[in-house]
Amino acid sequence: MAPSVDYYCPCLAASPHPPPPHLPSSSDSFHPLHNLFFCEECDAVRCNRCVMVEVSGYYCPNCLFEVPSASVRAEKNRCARNCFLCPNCRNTLSVVPSDPPNDGYDRMSPIVSTSLGEPPFFLYCNHCRWDSAQVDITFEKPTGLAAQLQKFEDSAPEALEFDRLKEHFEPFLRASSSSSAVTPSSSHHHSNPITAAASSALARDIPGVSKYNPLSRSRSGRDKSSHKADIPDYKARMEVGAAAGMGAGGGEADLEFMRHLETVAEVATVEQRWVNSWVSSLHTDDLKPLRIPLQSKKSKRCPSCRHILIKPEQKAQSVRYKIKLVAANYLPAISVSLPHARAALETMKRSLNRSAAQSEDQSPAAAALLAGKTYSFHISFTNPLYDPIQVRLKKAQAMPAPGTEGAGEKAKRPPFQVNLPSAAFPIAAFAEAWEYEDDEDMFGLDDDDDLDGLGRLQKDQRSKTRTVGVVEKRANVTVVAGEVILTKESRGNVKFNMLVSYTYRSDDPDPAEENAMGTPSRHASSKPPEMKNFSFYTVVDLGTIAPREETIHDTDM
Amino acid sequence: MDAPVYYSRAEYIETDTGNKVSRRATIAGPQNIILGGKTVIASGAIIRGDLRRTGPGHAVVISLGRYCLIGEGCVMRPPYKTYRGNFNYYPMKIGDHVHVGSGSIVEAATIGNHVEIGKNCIIGKFTIIKDCAKIADNTVIPPNTVVPALALFAGSPGRFVEDLPESTQEMVEAHTKGFYTRFQPATTER
Ligand SMILES: [Zn+2]
Ligand SMILES: [Zn+2]
Ligand SMILES: [Zn+2]
Ligand SMILES: [Zn+2]
Repeated sequence: MAPSVDYYCPCLAASPHPPPPHLPSSSDSFHPLHNLFFCEECDAVRCNRCVMVEVSGYYCPNCLFEVPSASVRAEKNRCARNCFLCPNCRNTLSVVPSDPPNDGYDRMSPIVSTSLGEPPFFLYCNHCRWDSAQVDITFEKPTGLAAQLQKFEDSAPEALEFDRLKEHFEPFLRASSSSSAVTPSSSHHHSNPITAAASSALARDIPGVSKYNPLSRSRSGRDKSSHKADIPDYKARMEVGAAAGMGAGGGEADLEFMRHLETVAEVATVEQRWVNSWVSSLHTDDLKPLRIPLQSKKSKRCPSCRHILIKPEQKAQSVRYKIKLVAANYLPAISVSLPHARAALETMKRSLNRSAAQSEDQSPAAAALLAGKTYSFHISFTNPLYDPIQVRLKKAQAMPAPGTEGAGEKAKRPPFQVNLPSAAFPIAAFAEAWEYEDDEDMFGLDDDDDLDGLGRLQKDQRSKTRTVGVVEKRANVTVVAGEVILTKESRGNVKFNMLVSYTYRSDDPDPAEENAMGTPSRHASSKPPEMKNFSFYTVVDLGTIAPREETIHDTDM
Repeated sequence: MDAPVYYSRAEYIETDTGNKVSRRATIAGPQNIILGGKTVIASGAIIRGDLRRTGPGHAVVISLGRYCLIGEGCVMRPPYKTYRGNFNYYPMKIGDHVHVGSGSIVEAATIGNHVEIGKNCIIGKFTIIKDCAKIADNTVIPPNTVVPALALFAGSPGRFVEDLPESTQEMVEAHTKGFYTRFQPATTER
């Protein structure tokens, strides 16, 4: 695997320091730069785990129709046009007429829209060849199918039960939304009278479900208990347990069915039955076509100050954003590489006379990391800001965890040593020009220069004089070298946390500009410069140390 | 920074607009194919510009935008259907910054901008892939599928896996431009 750098979001932790990288759980706290957001108000990185998500629009992923939120509920979050999923393989179904196919191949090909269709029509899967005639669903007209299917859905016992539940809770829902001015964000709130009532109903009807206790999760639950008394008991349409016997087999019937199985395919897989809200038949031939669930476009807010970080354009298939505060516009992009691995790869490619676009993911044995050796690695920083920055690196000390675990973790610390450049180094400002210039110039490197560079490095490695410091500066990119010393006992991944601090010129963002551009800090301003500092943690993964025996084996081949 | 990807200068023809087409690729009906510029057609790829709609006159069968890559051994074939008893081919339109991994077969009707298709995929007839979508390696997209913008599809049949990050467009653009820059003639042949 290629070396990688991920960025830390401290959202889940109490301490500002990241967890030790060798803990498997630490990967939850590190993210690729392009998945992160940046809140200017808080001057902090945010990730998909901590941002608040709001739906800004619904659409059908198949017909791409934008569904107004008003009808989303009535249509039960599914497309009400002619979009269906195959219950067998989840491919999109086509509507086909039952007139005899012109040639045997026609059903496979999309002749669906032919106008000489003859009723009855049915739904057909061009992937697994399932069709709805198998389950006795056919249509007189090829239009309005969703409405016809929804009629079935709505008369299903689970749907009726749900409607009854809704009816039962409607008054409380209305009361609670009018009494406490509920903001959209309060859906995060775990305790409101509705959850409390639902929970008490559940606890009564389903054995083993304990009563939901809001007090254990939220302090604000206390005053709500007064509401709970107002809710009368809910009477189910059908007794619990009776549902299992309803056409869904269960018990004896299922046993009988299983006894006479001829192929496994007769039993619907868990995945195929999973989406049903109630007990469903085990039989594959009872599977019904599914209306396609809607998808949504989402806005994202900072969890602490609630400023909007992401706001998509209204149009469902637009990939543009009205507001897009992504970390990549604020923090330098960091990538890491192992020069020795790259050199080995080059040699391999040339010697095998590999053709150009061949895969780059095979790595030769010479590219491996061996225990007991010392390797140089290159870290490249790309500055996204319109002003130059000064960067300083520090390897994070393995933080002894507060508590007893600390000592044990420390003992297991990966046995390698990392040397990073200690001095601060500059990265030039990003300039729009670099993007628009011809790409050849952007990279500014001729092949010959590149080869010289490689040669010099190889020499360095041979003569054992390794450099730790700035290797290269071009455009808004600075490359620095560090080294890693592996002990003989080294095993596992060479992974360490690195603290990156940078100073930048800050201009107080003009709020008007903020909305217009989304990336205010990118704007050079005429105000007197004020230097600011920002630090963030990363985890650098240089790759896995090759076990010795295996390496010998590899070179033999 | 990723290493250069070298190719043999003798193998590739470079056009005025910077397209690089392997001599080992099969370009059928080149007069019906449009390449937007800085697009690479790797060796072994087959592009069927010859499968055109019946009827007189000139017709664009396959159009590719800028900074595209048709990987090694890919087959790009326009979709066809029989409509009102007439068999016909329909044009295939592909936007800018679209990479198709090696060994994939594409019969899509429309592919938007900034789309990544992995290796060994089958993109069925009349598929519509919207902007910034991604198809994972080894995915089979059945005919007539619609892949919405910023969606990752994988599996057989290809299904929605997750939403892609908001910065997908920038990332894909940097990747396709970077690839074109790194795609250089081998120095030994200079
Ligand atoms: Zn977070
Ligand atoms: Zn739909
Ligand atoms: Zn199917
Ligand atoms: Zn904030």
